[in-house]
Amino acid sequence: MKKFLLPLLFLFLFLLESLFVQYLPENVFGRNRILVPHFLFAAILFLTIFVGKKQGIIYAAIFGLLFDIVYVEIIGIYLFVYPFISYLVSKIMQILQTNMIIAFLVSIFGIALLEVGVYEMNHLIHVTNVDFMSFINLRFYPTLILNAAFIIIAGYPLKRLFEKHAEALRVE
Amino acid sequence: MPQFFLNKRLIILLVSIIVLVALIGFSLRERSKLSWPEQFVKDTTGWVQSLVSKPSNYIAGFFENLQDLQNTYNENKELKSRLDNLVSLESQVQALKKDNEELRAVLDEEKTLRDFEPLPATVIGRNPDRWHEMIIIDKGSLNGLKKNMAVVTANGLIGKVKSVNKFSSTVQLLSATDPKNRISAIVQGKTKVYGLVEGYDKEKKLLMVKAIPAGAEIEKGQTVITSGLGGIFPEGLLIGKVVEVKPDQYGLNLTALIKPGADFYDIKNVMVTKKIMRDPDITDLTDGKEEGS
Repeated sequence: MKKFLLPLLFLFLFLLESLFVQYLPENVFGRNRILVPHFLFAAILFLTIFVGKKQGIIYAAIFGLLFDIVYVEIIGIYLFVYPFISYLVSKIMQILQTNMIIAFLVSIFGIALLEVGVYEMNHLIHVTNVDFMSFINLRFYPTLILNAAFIIIAGYPLKRLFEKHAEALRVE
Repeated sequence: MPQFFLNKRLIILLVSIIVLVALIGFSLRERSKLSWPEQFVKDTTGWVQSLVSKPSNYIAGFFENLQDLQNTYNENKELKSRLDNLVSLESQVQALKKDNEELRAVLDEEKTLRDFEPLPATVIGRNPDRWHEMIIIDKGSLNGLKKNMAVVTANGLIGKVKSVNKFSSTVQLLSATDPKNRISAIVQGKTKVYGLVEGYDKEKKLLMVKAIPAGAEIEKGQTVITSGLGGIFPEGLLIGKVVEVKPDQYGLNLTALIKPGADFYDIKNVMVTKKIMRDPDITDLTDGKEEGS
């Protein structure tokens, strides 16, 4: 049972993102902004920070591929970006101390990198023609705020869960 | 230099970039069908998604009902005032319909571009990254869906079927940026004006109808419907209302900005339209240049 806990959790977040967008009204706070949930990726970054590099990158690759196939229908974007940023985050965490505040800041940084990276790729293959400044205003800031709120709410339970998981791994 | 190439990480990075480019290239090319592993994964997750989305639909519906209750009194008043007009309109429509059928029978042309078979479907997911505006519905090729069918809600056209799996399919919304996505449309004024729905203004949230001949008389508030001339969509699906008309960048044509009739957010139930009239074969066309939908 415990073995399936993490995959189930990530699968739940994977579906939650889609549900969140489906029920989100057109104008949040009366303004035209695009809010993008990255709950799944925030959890993967927490996994990388609190459990380990190997686990983080494996989960990032699997769910990146799943995300590409199911939602985007262009294989490769998230499959590449998720593990790459997980790897970068694990490198950063080698220098920094592991605690809640650092984890929060590093996750936000990771999500910011993800947004910019995916924007650049989509711009390159002409999926979007939004210019960089309106991307920043329309999408980037609101998305960061939304995901910061998610991490503040879900961060502590996630940290507890992953620390327990890491301990179980060590005992084995 | 040899040491540079011995760096394991660098090689992994380079290899993965090559794989990335290859994969993106593979998925970007014009595909008539998704490969079977993709279809399998999509169907499996589609099944899980429909398990999750049905109860959440129910809960969301409950809260919406509560909200509706608050406005009931005002709405009732307004609806009553409209009801009187409706009765006379209905009898008129009946008469016209009958007339139309009779005349068609005389002409021996019983099928029109207008006829379609609606196929209801429930939305079970939506692309969360919001670059590609897509929704996932719970009907697939087993229910008779095909690529490029038009998808509508009660308020108008929302998009077309992008890819079909066995039990689920993906719908690309009109608000997606896709240069290949063009829809032949009619602006209904005193005379019919033809144009192509092409592109979406994300900031203003308006659709753009391009290639309208200069000098066409278009006014604010006129309705835009599909023309059915692309050979894929049926005729007469509502797209939206004209908000603004301006000359295009070369001044040769007009571009009309349209407020879409359907809401591209908060979609729960949709209808896929299956055209009844036979699609023209390639051999029927004189020069095979006709393209798009």
